[in-house]
Amino acid sequence: MLIQEIIFYAFSIIMIVAATLVISVRNPVYSVLYLILTFFSAAALWILLGAEFLAIILVLVYVGAVMVLFLFVLMMLNVDLSRVNEGFVKNLPLGLLVAAIMLAEILVVLWYKGRTGIEDFPIPEPLSADYSNTAEIGQRLFTQYLWPFELAGIVLLVAIVAAIALTMRKREGVKTQSIPKQVQADKRDRVKLIDMPVEGVEDK
Amino acid sequence: MLSEYWPVIIFLAISVGLGTALLVIGGLLGPSKPSVEKSSPYECGFEPFADARMKFDVRFYLVAILFIVFDLEIAFFIPWAVVMEDVGLTAFAAVVIFTLELAIGLAYLWKKGALEWE
Amino acid sequence: MDMILEFAWLLIRIVLFTFLPLILLVAYYTYAERRVLGAMQSRIGPNRVGPIGLFQPFADVIKLLLKEIILPANANRFLFFIAPVLAIGPAFAVWAVVPMGEGMVWANLDAGVIYILAVGSIGVYGIILAGWASNSKYALLGAMRAAAQMVSYEIALGFSLVGVLVLAGSLNLSAIVHAQAGGMADWYWLPLLPLFIIFIISGLAETNRAPFDVAEGESEIVAGFHVEYSGATFAVFFLAEYANMILIAALTAIFFFGGWLSPFEGWTFLGDSWLREPSIFWMLGKLAFFMFNFLWFRATFPRYRYDQIMRLGWKVFIPICMVWVLVAAVMVFTGLVVRGA
Repeated sequence: MLIQEIIFYAFSIIMIVAATLVISVRNPVYSVLYLILTFFSAAALWILLGAEFLAIILVLVYVGAVMVLFLFVLMMLNVDLSRVNEGFVKNLPLGLLVAAIMLAEILVVLWYKGRTGIEDFPIPEPLSADYSNTAEIGQRLFTQYLWPFELAGIVLLVAIVAAIALTMRKREGVKTQSIPKQVQADKRDRVKLIDMPVEGVEDK
Repeated sequence: MLSEYWPVIIFLAISVGLGTALLVIGGLLGPSKPSVEKSSPYECGFEPFADARMKFDVRFYLVAILFIVFDLEIAFFIPWAVVMEDVGLTAFAAVVIFTLELAIGLAYLWKKGALEWE
Repeated sequence: MDMILEFAWLLIRIVLFTFLPLILLVAYYTYAERRVLGAMQSRIGPNRVGPIGLFQPFADVIKLLLKEIILPANANRFLFFIAPVLAIGPAFAVWAVVPMGEGMVWANLDAGVIYILAVGSIGVYGIILAGWASNSKYALLGAMRAAAQMVSYEIALGFSLVGVLVLAGSLNLSAIVHAQAGGMADWYWLPLLPLFIIFIISGLAETNRAPFDVAEGESEIVAGFHVEYSGATFAVFFLAEYANMILIAALTAIFFFGGWLSPFEGWTFLGDSWLREPSIFWMLGKLAFFMFNFLWFRATFPRYRYDQIMRLGWKVFIPICMVWVLVAAVMVFTGLVVRGA
């Protein structure tokens, strides 16, 4: 399939170039945009592999949600563009170390699984016409991987709690509207009728 | 399955092309006489002071994090909704517990006042 | 060579049968909006250009294209121009999977629903970048408001679609319509009534339409994120907003009102009338109805306050959605609603 190969190489090249630009452009907003392009190309490659559910979820979660958070943070921090690259040389060794460790981890997993040569990655069988990636994932996730699924729920819960712990600050003098209080307000609590003598009128 | 994605690629290309074409046409047809007054950002009558790109309330950041969490939850719900009948009641119970976990999170947010905007 | 020809032919058909009608629909939707709002407010609305003002949209387009594009001082040129493109791209690209009738869809994706959610969620970048690139306080404020509101309501929107998926059992939009066969009472608005209402209201909030248009509330922040956009750049944002409204109307019809199915399907006393047959006209009728609703809401409801909008989304809609998705599942397990039929 020539056309598939063309698509594969086109998106791979876009992905590698975009990923390089993510770390090399000066403006962090551009970095985020290039990262989005990287995710898109990755999604296209996954679709080529027949993993359409994963590909679209990648766009939905990373492009649609995580990158929005990145942009928000960039705008919130109001990064001074001239100072962004200052620590580049100083932090380079540390960065390279982290990258090396991650690469080593990937290689260890591959070696452990006994997949060291190109022949260990056969060309996947063509998928049948009624194959549904979503249904397949659902079947696996909700039978075989039920416990990890529950754990994911716990992790999400922890994420919520952590987000609050990190960002919530009680501020003084903040006024909020309490709808139950407003609804329950009674005229007896608010209005006081008092008797007053009327000026200029004589009591008889 | 892959052939189904051809129209998608064409749609993406035409949509982006349409936007770009309109901008280019507008740029070519419209006049271009920039002046200081015209290019100064909108303000209510006074000269703009300071950079407009100011810092924002941390609340927007919290909304974005919560959005990710709940978006992920939807991503987990979708495959379940598709295979619901095949995986049966055990999976349903698991999903109920999963929802409860998130409900606890939401209740906590509520209690902490993280959902209050002023 | 054949392949390239085929490709070009597909491209021409897509432009002719989807993009052109859609752009015309947007043009006349703006005209309809002004006429309908006029009628609802005892005014006439535009009636000068052509008979009863029918050429007004063209006059508007020509005017917008002939205006100067002003780049604000200190604006980021690249981001300023990429923002409208990022807004209009997703608004039109989503239409690839939207069926208008039996088999009348360009990409009959198995994962249609998540494609809509994923591509739809990209639209928010256009708004954030527009606000940030403009270097204007009003634009930035409007953009942040709009973005926070859109992501909040996207969750409600996504959850209400999970309810539809639970009943339909498929992510394919045509399959979802088929699953609603049987007549008005079999459409999903009935078993999913709370989700249907949430979907409509979230759709309003998602497109930043009245009464949820604080992002561009004239009285507070002038025009919101597109305050610095003029001429053709503004036209592109406008086109995207209206295309999104039409999209939400079409999706409401497909997910909750049986798409192109006839409302009188089960009425056997009508005989073999065309009224009982599914056809694109039903789809267009429903589309027109929900599009009209957008205008009706705008004329009817006063604008919400921002804190009220966020509370409605997080404290009312999301809990209801979570509960009703499980209720829908119980409906399926107890056999109250037959899944996918």
